[in-house]
Amino acid sequence: MWFEDAPLGEKVTLGSYTFTTDNIIAFAKKYDPQPFHLDAEAAAHSPYGGLIASGWHTSVVWMKLMIAHRNARVAAGEELTQVNYVSPGVRDIRWLKPVRPGMTLTYTNENCAKRDWPSLPAFGLLEGNNEARTEDGTLVYTFVNRVLIARKPTK
Amino acid sequence: MTNLLHFEDFRAGQIFNLGTHVLTVDEIVEFAREFDPQPQHTDPGAAKDLLGGLAASGWHLCAIAMRMMVDGLFIRATSLGAPGVDEVQWRRPVRAGDTLKLDGEVLDTRASSNPGRGFVRFRFTMRRADPSGDSEKVMFFVCSVMFGRRKETA
Repeated sequence: MWFEDAPLGEKVTLGSYTFTTDNIIAFAKKYDPQPFHLDAEAAAHSPYGGLIASGWHTSVVWMKLMIAHRNARVAAGEELTQVNYVSPGVRDIRWLKPVRPGMTLTYTNENCAKRDWPSLPAFGLLEGNNEARTEDGTLVYTFVNRVLIARKPTK
Repeated sequence: MTNLLHFEDFRAGQIFNLGTHVLTVDEIVEFAREFDPQPQHTDPGAAKDLLGGLAASGWHLCAIAMRMMVDGLFIRATSLGAPGVDEVQWRRPVRAGDTLKLDGEVLDTRASSNPGRGFVRFRFTMRRADPSGDSEKVMFFVCSVMFGRRKETA
């Protein structure tokens, strides 16, 4: 499948991930050691009233689920765009609500636009709207992903 | 608490030097195995595809930048987290052995509807230090961070 073939407007469920006290603190220790991500006691006295996940933790879980989703589709014999996911960036990351221990988020992706990418003419840029929701459907996270996809060879 | 940086201490144009980080193969692979398991991030012998061999996940660079922001600035400030990031650009592949420098430039500040807080909008820029003294921009993102105010207004 090439850039030209990638479907727009299809919402795909990528998968789910449960945030726990342990994985929230483990991520924060390495990458975001602020008291409200690191220490339940200190977090209780913060404006958040308890431990919350680093926003980047919520973000990188999307990538984990996207890769797992793509690998599963390839394993099932589906023909995807190229296997490697290469991106020049993302935009409009919104950490809308705090993510707390025990919350299971389900992430979705919906391709929404195709653009030229002049610096790599053999590729096109595919943009997608992404959401993560809690089990009761509350929207807690959105962003727009951007991925470079090979165009159909012309010869 | 009073010697922590508060909202009022930030001004457009300020630049905070947030230090350097030397990237290793092990940390590239460790992050990628958990969060971005693709060969170009997990396999040191990866084929030289679009990224030209083993390169750090872009999300890993964000996480490293976050750590440098905390260690270099937020630890001595009243930071209260961020509601999001307007734009992230990954400009160049980043590899093991690269020395990464981060700075944060204040773009503007604005009051919050919550009188105890304000927003400071930064552009955080990561550069690869070059032995010649030059440096190349490898990533940047623009992000508004909440800080506590020194004096609460009624």
